Amino acid sequence: MKVALAQICPKLGDIRKNFHMHIDCIQKAKRKKADLLIFPELSLTGYTLKDMVEEVALQPRTNPLFKQFKTLSRNISFVVGFVEEKEKGLFLNSAAFFSQGKILHIHRKVFLPTYGMFEELKFFGQGINFTSFPTPFGKAGMMICYDFLHFGSSYLLFVGGSELIIVISAAPGRGFVDDASYASSRMWELMGEAISRFSQTFVIYCNRVGYEDGKSFAGGSFIYNPGGQLIAKSLYVDEDFLVKKIDLEDIRRFRKKRPYRRDEKPEVICEALKRIIENYED
Amino acid sequence: MKINPSFAEKLLMRFIKEEFSKLNFKKGILGLSGGLDSSVCALLAAKALGPKYIIGLIMPYKDSFGRDVKDAEDFACHLGISFRSIDISPMVDPYFAKYPTNNRILRGNKMARERMSILYDVSARERALVLGTSNKTELLLGYGTIHGDMACAINPMGDLYKTQIRQLARYMKIPDKILRKKPTAGLWAGQTDEGELGLTYTKIDRILYQLVDLKKTKKEVISSGFQKRDVEKIITLIKGSEFKRKMSPIPKISDRTVGHNFLFPFDWDR
Repeated sequence: MKVALAQICPKLGDIRKNFHMHIDCIQKAKRKKADLLIFPELSLTGYTLKDMVEEVALQPRTNPLFKQFKTLSRNISFVVGFVEEKEKGLFLNSAAFFSQGKILHIHRKVFLPTYGMFEELKFFGQGINFTSFPTPFGKAGMMICYDFLHFGSSYLLFVGGSELIIVISAAPGRGFVDDASYASSRMWELMGEAISRFSQTFVIYCNRVGYEDGKSFAGGSFIYNPGGQLIAKSLYVDEDFLVKKIDLEDIRRFRKKRPYRRDEKPEVICEALKRIIENYED
Repeated sequence: MKINPSFAEKLLMRFIKEEFSKLNFKKGILGLSGGLDSSVCALLAAKALGPKYIIGLIMPYKDSFGRDVKDAEDFACHLGISFRSIDISPMVDPYFAKYPTNNRILRGNKMARERMSILYDVSARERALVLGTSNKTELLLGYGTIHGDMACAINPMGDLYKTQIRQLARYMKIPDKILRKKPTAGLWAGQTDEGELGLTYTKIDRILYQLVDLKKTKKEVISSGFQKRDVEKIITLIKGSEFKRKMSPIPKISDRTVGHNFLFPFDWDR
């Protein structure tokens, strides 16, 4: 199958403009015969929304743009980031997986960074689950940005049977290293390498670029194969549109060689976690 | 503290380009002092937007800093940007004739604000955006005039310490005579930043880097080999200048208040 990563720079707060940007990318992905196209976190709205959150929120079931997305997804699958009004006045940072003319799954960001330069909990409610769901390409699981830096999220998708882990991101770059990228980009790559290798899944990470209020989104989207090998990498900092053929058979190959999943003991982990939680002190 | 200058240059050029496009401006304007920061900023802007879209204003007080004026003019010519010299003494002198003072800080601040006023006036006439030239060291120490040289629309180099700007300047091939100059705020003749602060930029930046970037405690910084007196002085300067880095406080009365919970991005509707 062919995976496309749309490393775009959405316009902050302008859904119309971003919708058209999405349509262009979907057409491009179709021309390049991609089966699955990934957009970054909050691709439809931009990231630094603050009090604009409620103005750009939408309801997936009734929204006319989503209706068009569903139609477009009859012959290509894609993941879009958006602000969801899940119930009246409850706004979530969400990702929708469009495929076969419908939405197969919506993931709501669970871990909302609220420290240092981040203030998501001020404006968003939290998701409560990491679900592995069936897609035309096998089971997949989604995460949004900071979700991925909590390795428990990946574990849940691994145990849930995901073969593709899709991470959409709006990660600002920070810190200097010697090569031509931010130090923080290395952090995402390290996680991608470790998770793909030990969950034996494809890890597909799509970050955005551009500046919002001086924050520079770092780009550097990537795909790791189930053996922990980097097989595709987008530009740092600049817009990019990457298309990569991946071989889903790799999952079987690596899992036959090292049966991490077969030998995993979620029950033991679950019981041990319960014991730890029960013994929490006030 | 080491930066990758080619990556930093790329980031800052992209920032300038993107901000100008978001704000719908073609032209940029900045004050040129003949010193390092404004030269680096002018070069970044010229590379990002094209030299013909950059205006440099050289604003001496009478004929003081003659060499700096010459350096600023030479550098502007070298870049191919348009530039103009405006002597600020006809604006500043009548004020001080009426309200005299020998306080050099007061005089320096007034001059910095006069330059700001001219920059903003010319920026409106030319439909150009004011580029700030404050660096991270100055911003953290509050070593700048509020509503003076700190005023700008965008501040491309505000996250680079003075010594990091030197690294960038070397990479960008800023002329040696500018690189070798002793940094000065130009508040009065013979003034140097390092002389006034009583510390070298190398030392200041190392201390700031540990305190701010590495979040080390005062004790840790001192035990890494710095004088207690120097570290304390820097901490006092940082704390004492927070007001220069913030919007002024507004007492909350209503349910939704500017600066408290009327929260929109700077890039709102851009």
